[in-house]
Amino acid sequence: MPEPKEAQQPESGAQPPAPEAWFFCLRLLGGRYAFEAPLVTEVVRLGPLTRLPAAPSFLPGVFTHRGEVLPVLDIAQLVGQGAVALRPSTRAAIVHCGPWKVAVVSDSVEGLVAIPRRQLEPPPAESSGVAEFLSAVARDKAGAVAVLDLPRLVETARARAVPAGSGPA
Amino acid sequence: MTGPTSELVLFQVGARTFAAVVHDAVRIGSVRDVPADELVLETALGAPSARARGIVVASHDDAVERTLVVDQVLGTRSVPEEHVHPLPAFAAVCLTSGAVTGFVLLEGDPLLLVDLPTLVRERATEAIA
Repeated sequence: MPEPKEAQQPESGAQPPAPEAWFFCLRLLGGRYAFEAPLVTEVVRLGPLTRLPAAPSFLPGVFTHRGEVLPVLDIAQLVGQGAVALRPSTRAAIVHCGPWKVAVVSDSVEGLVAIPRRQLEPPPAESSGVAEFLSAVARDKAGAVAVLDLPRLVETARARAVPAGSGPA
Repeated sequence: MTGPTSELVLFQVGARTFAAVVHDAVRIGSVRDVPADELVLETALGAPSARARGIVVASHDDAVERTLVVDQVLGTRSVPEEHVHPLPAFAAVCLTSGAVTGFVLLEGDPLLLVDLPTLVRERATEAIA
């Protein structure tokens, strides 16, 4: 797990410091996206990818990590805004979302960021593309960051895939 | 080799190699003399280019036999069962085919494990529809 790059210092003065939330930040779709840090268990290099037949585009394949086979989730593909370039050097964040364990790929991994909760603002009222999955937006020293509702995103991915046995006949 | 093992047949469709349980293959042979309506050409694994060999597969109830056309049969391998892994849960619910059931790690590389009767049945269902 990378070291935090952005940690808020306790504020001086009479007011108590604002409670911070930790997020895991990555670069994707030309911007900075983050999700709740406790969802991430590890950051790994992707290594060779095994592509799956009959898989949706957001599931480009699987790879082995310490003897475990992990599915790869491409958020850019899921929201229909291109695809992450997958190379053996591509890094992936291994996340647990409910019953699902997936490796989220991105253009680059930034690491942990801390954002005071009071700085989190509601996302713009859009319902298309990645905006559909935003839970908040914020700004830190590195710039704007959009907070993804990752469990909802993963669950939507699962729901959008046609399960085996009920596919188009 | 000690401990329980799985007997697998390895075959190629296009450039990719797949594995299946030997027990699912009734026999392996040429496809030249097989009636066209018994051949299964294009499946979730893709379409063979050379169409050199056929793997005869019985349905789960042994009622029907179909010949899955492949490019090459590479032989059989005895693999320790600990090298056989199920499909990750998220991948399993996302695939549109139920024929890919897991992986077998051969020399560390994951090879897709295919349920041949399901693969052939899915194709037959598509053809009927």
